Amino acid sequence: MSIQRVAGSAAVALVVGAGVFAWVSSGTLLSLLTQAIIYAVFALGVGVLLRQNGMVSFGHALFFGCAGYAVGLLLQAQWSAELAMLATLAGMAVVAFVMGLVIVRVPGVAFGMLTLAIGQMFFLTASRSRGLTGGADGMNIDWPSTLFGVSQSVLLKPANLFLLCWCTLVGVMVLLGLLLNSRFGRITEAVRDNEERARFIGIRTLLPRAAVYALSAVITGLAGLLSALNTGFVSPENLHWSLSGVALMMVVVGGYKALWGPALGAVVYFMAKDFLGDYATHWMAIFGVALITVIVFSPTGLAGLLERVVKGKAAVRVHKAHGH
Amino acid sequence: MTIHLFNGLVYGALLIIMCSGLALIYGLRRVVNFAHGSLYMLGAYLGYSIAMQTNFWVALVAAPAVMAVFGVLLDRYGFRLLQDRDPLTVVLVTFGLLLIIEDLVQTVWGKSNLSVPAPALLSASVDLLGTPVPAYRIAVIAVGALVALGLSLWLRYSKVGLFVRAASTDPTTTAMQGVNTDALSASVVGLGTALAGLAGVVAAPFLSLSPAMSSDVIIDSFVVVVVGGLGSLAGAFVAAMVLGMVQALGAVYLPDVAVLLPFVLMVAILIWKPAGFAGSRT
Repeated sequence: MSIQRVAGSAAVALVVGAGVFAWVSSGTLLSLLTQAIIYAVFALGVGVLLRQNGMVSFGHALFFGCAGYAVGLLLQAQWSAELAMLATLAGMAVVAFVMGLVIVRVPGVAFGMLTLAIGQMFFLTASRSRGLTGGADGMNIDWPSTLFGVSQSVLLKPANLFLLCWCTLVGVMVLLGLLLNSRFGRITEAVRDNEERARFIGIRTLLPRAAVYALSAVITGLAGLLSALNTGFVSPENLHWSLSGVALMMVVVGGYKALWGPALGAVVYFMAKDFLGDYATHWMAIFGVALITVIVFSPTGLAGLLERVVKGKAAVRVHKAHGH
Repeated sequence: MTIHLFNGLVYGALLIIMCSGLALIYGLRRVVNFAHGSLYMLGAYLGYSIAMQTNFWVALVAAPAVMAVFGVLLDRYGFRLLQDRDPLTVVLVTFGLLLIIEDLVQTVWGKSNLSVPAPALLSASVDLLGTPVPAYRIAVIAVGALVALGLSLWLRYSKVGLFVRAASTDPTTTAMQGVNTDALSASVVGLGTALAGLAGVVAAPFLSLSPAMSSDVIIDSFVVVVVGGLGSLAGAFVAAMVLGMVQALGAVYLPDVAVLLPFVLMVAILIWKPAGFAGSRT
């Protein structure tokens, strides 16, 4: 992806977001979209780990929930909200990088089980330390009346919040697009495809892998912050492994090979859940079947399927133009 | 003290029945079955329905038998078709299966807690070193011991057991020696699934049935198979007993950190020895 293409896609995405902002007036639809976009950022975090590192995490809710708890606790300690958010993300980057140095050495499926265990440790800790986190009841996050110079009542209007989340999503995707297009992206891909060979050509493989883990944690943490802003609340549910599983499902169904696949998966997930309406009580079975179907028949996910359809049509057009 | 050790043994025995299935399936198919806890839950609920219609003893045989058929089908139309795919792909398929079974159970049996009474024969209390303990729980320990002993003898001394051990080490070479590894895998996955079902039926009279029962047990089971070494039965037996004891004693003496102990154990083992205690196999 060239820089022009990244800039072009971002411009189109921002126009689409502005269109939704201007034309959609239904509060329910806007809040549904906002939720979908927040989870799209979450799924991007899980997806980048799979795409650049080839590692499946069953415990990314850890970063999603911890971001909410961290900012909530810092606000309780009378930090300014802006500083609390920055400190949360910076702290998460450092902690995840150090953690990554240790855990990315564990190969394959065992890595997934390890992340599951670490995530579940935090889930249980948060559910049990009533004094600090409110235990299983969760805790409210006391946002101050103004945030980044905007008053809270303006910021939390459904349309404004949607626009904020949308711009965050586009921003994250632009940064990822540029970063993964750089030397860093190529190094991580080389390490993912064959770590030993990458070492032979003089790449130190542990640092880039830990860095990808930290990057994926920070993106997921950002989604956690948006969610904390959206709901003003965080509970152990935000740390539970089933949430990690749902995010992973979005990544796989959307398709992790394309950068935008996980985001597509998240939007499809929420739209489908809403569309199902009364049948939504059976969402687990429906998404279970969808997950298996996509894995078996289209391992590159919906994004891969769309790309094939578009390319197929283009090929047919070229074919016809040549008069065969 | 006696009662806590005893309860540790009971939970350890339950984990042995669960994890031997998980380890067998991993050994032959290299699949970490995320749906194993859901299969356990399905077995428990099937056992409940059968026990309500007939009695507990019929359920004890019939529910695992139904689960065995399910397991054979799962291998034939699931794992066998996916055997050349990336192992992580298959893990995700079992995760999809987990979602489907959870939904199925909630739809058929509802979300409220159900309970199965212990059979009349075992409903009495027995005096154990001065502490009265339910006879049923002693029977659970006996079932766990029988499963462990039976599987060990079967793998060690029978011809099929030899094939299973060979196929776990190298399926291609085993197939070249004339062993039908597809049929072998189907029977082993069937056996593993039946063991999950058996664990469910056995657990029903002393743990209540609820849709949350699967996620509690699957995470403990993962801890066991990882600590014991993926695919190693002996390792899983030891780790199951250790975890049962840690859970039971920790809940009494270290109530604040007890729930974290299994995970600390698992994280430490994975980082220190990624192949587990008994694991030399990759």
